[in-house]
Amino acid sequence: MKRTGIAVGAVACATMLALCGCTPRGGADPDGDTAEITLVDVLPAATQPVDDVTWAIVEGEPATLNPAASANLIVPNLCDNLLSLQPDFSIAPGIAESAEFVDPVTFVITLRDDVAFWDGSPVTAEDVAWSLQQNLNPASQWFGAFALVVPDAAAGIVATGPNEVTVHFVAPDSTFRDAIAGQGGAVMQKAFGEAAGQALGTPEAGLMCTGPYELAPGAWTPGGDIVTTANEQYWNGAPLVKTLTYTFVSDSSTLATALTQGEIDGAINVSPGARAVLEGDGAGTLTVGHSTASYSFGPASATGAGANPKIREALSLAIDRDQYLETVANGLGTVQKTIVPEFSFQAMTEAPIYQAGYDALAEPKVDLDAAKALVEESGEDTSVPLVVAVPAGAKEFAQTATIMQSAAKQIGLDLEIDEMQAADFGALFYDPTKREGIDFVATQGYLETPGVLGYPSLFMLPADQGGVFNWSGYDNPEVTQHLQAARNAVDEKTAADEFVAAQEIFAQDYLQVTLAGTYQLTYLNDDLTGVTTSVAAYSSPWALHLGGE
Amino acid sequence: MNAMTRMLLERLGGLLLTLFLASIVIYSAVLLTGDPIAALAGGAKPTPELIDQIRLEYHLDDPVWARYWDWLTSAFQGDFGRSFVYKTDVMTLVAPRFVITLQLVMVTVLLILVFGVGSGVVAAMRGGAVDRTVGVLTSLGMALPTFVVAILLIWIFAKTLGWFPVYGEGDAGWDRLWHLVLPAVSLAVLFVAYISRVTRGSLVAQLQSEHVDTARVRGIPRSRIFGVHVFRNASPQILAITGTTIAGLFAASAIAEVAFGLGGIGSLLVQAAARADLPVVQIVSLLLVTIFVVLNAAADLWSALIDPTSVGGRSAA
Repeated sequence: MKRTGIAVGAVACATMLALCGCTPRGGADPDGDTAEITLVDVLPAATQPVDDVTWAIVEGEPATLNPAASANLIVPNLCDNLLSLQPDFSIAPGIAESAEFVDPVTFVITLRDDVAFWDGSPVTAEDVAWSLQQNLNPASQWFGAFALVVPDAAAGIVATGPNEVTVHFVAPDSTFRDAIAGQGGAVMQKAFGEAAGQALGTPEAGLMCTGPYELAPGAWTPGGDIVTTANEQYWNGAPLVKTLTYTFVSDSSTLATALTQGEIDGAINVSPGARAVLEGDGAGTLTVGHSTASYSFGPASATGAGANPKIREALSLAIDRDQYLETVANGLGTVQKTIVPEFSFQAMTEAPIYQAGYDALAEPKVDLDAAKALVEESGEDTSVPLVVAVPAGAKEFAQTATIMQSAAKQIGLDLEIDEMQAADFGALFYDPTKREGIDFVATQGYLETPGVLGYPSLFMLPADQGGVFNWSGYDNPEVTQHLQAARNAVDEKTAADEFVAAQEIFAQDYLQVTLAGTYQLTYLNDDLTGVTTSVAAYSSPWALHLGGE
Repeated sequence: MNAMTRMLLERLGGLLLTLFLASIVIYSAVLLTGDPIAALAGGAKPTPELIDQIRLEYHLDDPVWARYWDWLTSAFQGDFGRSFVYKTDVMTLVAPRFVITLQLVMVTVLLILVFGVGSGVVAAMRGGAVDRTVGVLTSLGMALPTFVVAILLIWIFAKTLGWFPVYGEGDAGWDRLWHLVLPAVSLAVLFVAYISRVTRGSLVAQLQSEHVDTARVRGIPRSRIFGVHVFRNASPQILAITGTTIAGLFAASAIAEVAFGLGGIGSLLVQAAARADLPVVQIVSLLLVTIFVVLNAAADLWSALIDPTSVGGRSAA
């Protein structure tokens, strides 16, 4: 699933922009060589118990902790997914001992028999079937992953034994197993969920899951903090931290100070702009891990110059990716050739095929002459200014827009920047009328589970086949056919070959111009260890092994 | 009806009218500014069906006046609406945070009164070098915006010296006070400087007035002249401005709250506005207006009590 860069926690306030601007940045890496960075995806498991840990959530307070409705860094410690995502993005058994297709359209999940909810009641096949059925609702975050499941819930997802759930498909689906290693496979108690109804996951109703940390009734103070406690009966061993409290800090300067002063113990996704402060003397250490996150921009409408692939390619040729990385990510990232990042397939069985497909793509390079020629060729009227929309109050996006603007100027294009309030920017993604007069939207996104089809499905398929972000009306039958074949493949090699074939074509159409891949940045107090420091934190209980060194 | 009662009633009437008008303006203005669908969908991908359902559930397609009337009648029954984002009663959201802002403002007011009024009095009484020093310092203070002071304070007292915490509101009691020191100082600097100048100005004006000269000529002791003639005459003006200042502090606190990670109503307002959580924005805005109006009225009333003649010649009627 594409998670758009709707900067929910980003706050529009001139004052705070000024505060952000004061964070010392740049220059931390004397020779600017990003290759020196050592990537670490998990810190050694803790050995010592700790009473209290305070964790900052930089994305701001979530609206709900319902795994079907929200993706944030709190849910993974509360609710287990059926399969267990590892820090290297490989998938291991979890609550499900096994989960496999027994024939092309029948998927059987066999559950462990020793897993209990926080209230002590055992996890039954009924609970799991109900939890999965939540995703058959179009309002679910994970609806797309369940698109090929037989849509009638009672027939599609069935408890077929005390510890067995069977999922029936209308067509083979090579992506489903990966998806249930994410929150699409989160397990909740059916009775609790039915009693809570719409309120499930809100501060009032709470949750009933199986994860290593428990959310007691009233433990979430809206607008304040969320206090979770160790689940002493956790099936995979109780955590060493007794109380893990989440607090919400969206101002990166305030956060950097609180972290380095040791007032907050840790945070995931700290701003790369605060690199110098976080790497300096302080209570903790900045750990850089693999991520699937990237910055990109794409067309917002089917008309105008933005919808012309030649214009997008020209802009791509005018943007210096290394300079972009240094400016926006403070060197904490990597040049990424296309929308699908390498880490997303790194641990898959057919990784070599995907890697070969990626390696065969052209490296982004600056070529102003070629770019100008493309603008000429495009036949677009260059006197009409282009408009790029970015969320207001987020420094990385302001920089992205500025870099795009100066690149456009170099090749004779006039680009205007439309900084939008978070709520308005969010509305762009579902309300076509809000996109009128906008040519490009710049976003940041990441993939929380392994697999390569998430982005291409959303951006390259026709709108009626799942391409909800395909705003330029891109419709290449060959791409559609290869992508569908990849999803419907019954063996992994076919899926990989088909995807690579599709990528070869769509990469040249620049539906999203990928600007940079960024790393996962985690700051942790030096007295603590044991957290997952790769992007797998979004789908796995990253604080399970947290504790003292 | 005596002048005081009459003034009270007038004030009360004006206050209610102001609040009523403010509620209309705030309610409609807030509604017209943002599209709340994204907030209401709670992060879920809003499908056309979901959007329709939300529009129906929250009466988003009803005319503004009908929605205002619903809101107003519910408010009179103690129901101020539910947060679009957290889906909880807005009062459960606002109440605990209001306490934190109130505490921050109280500490700040203490600082303003002690250092602002104090330095103004000293400057007016001593004059000379003391007056000039206070003048230079207050000029500097007035030139320093709150967020700049916040950065300086965090750097000096929190990072370098490590005396005070830089983040959060701590636990109730002394820990809270300790956490509030730096935010309160950063908030107070500008106002201390301002109140100091106002105090000094009012006192000097009184000191130079004829009745003080007369009192001096009559041999009344200096301390008595200052207490009875100068300070009492100057105090209505000082009080009025202090009252407005305190009222403004509730809104200004947002900057300090955000910089120091305090969970008060200021940071709540900023957050809610960014996420189009309209019911919260409405309530907090209305709360800020109410505080402003009430405190202003209180300051007026207090001046009237100190100096009944300020109520005006209408008392003869």
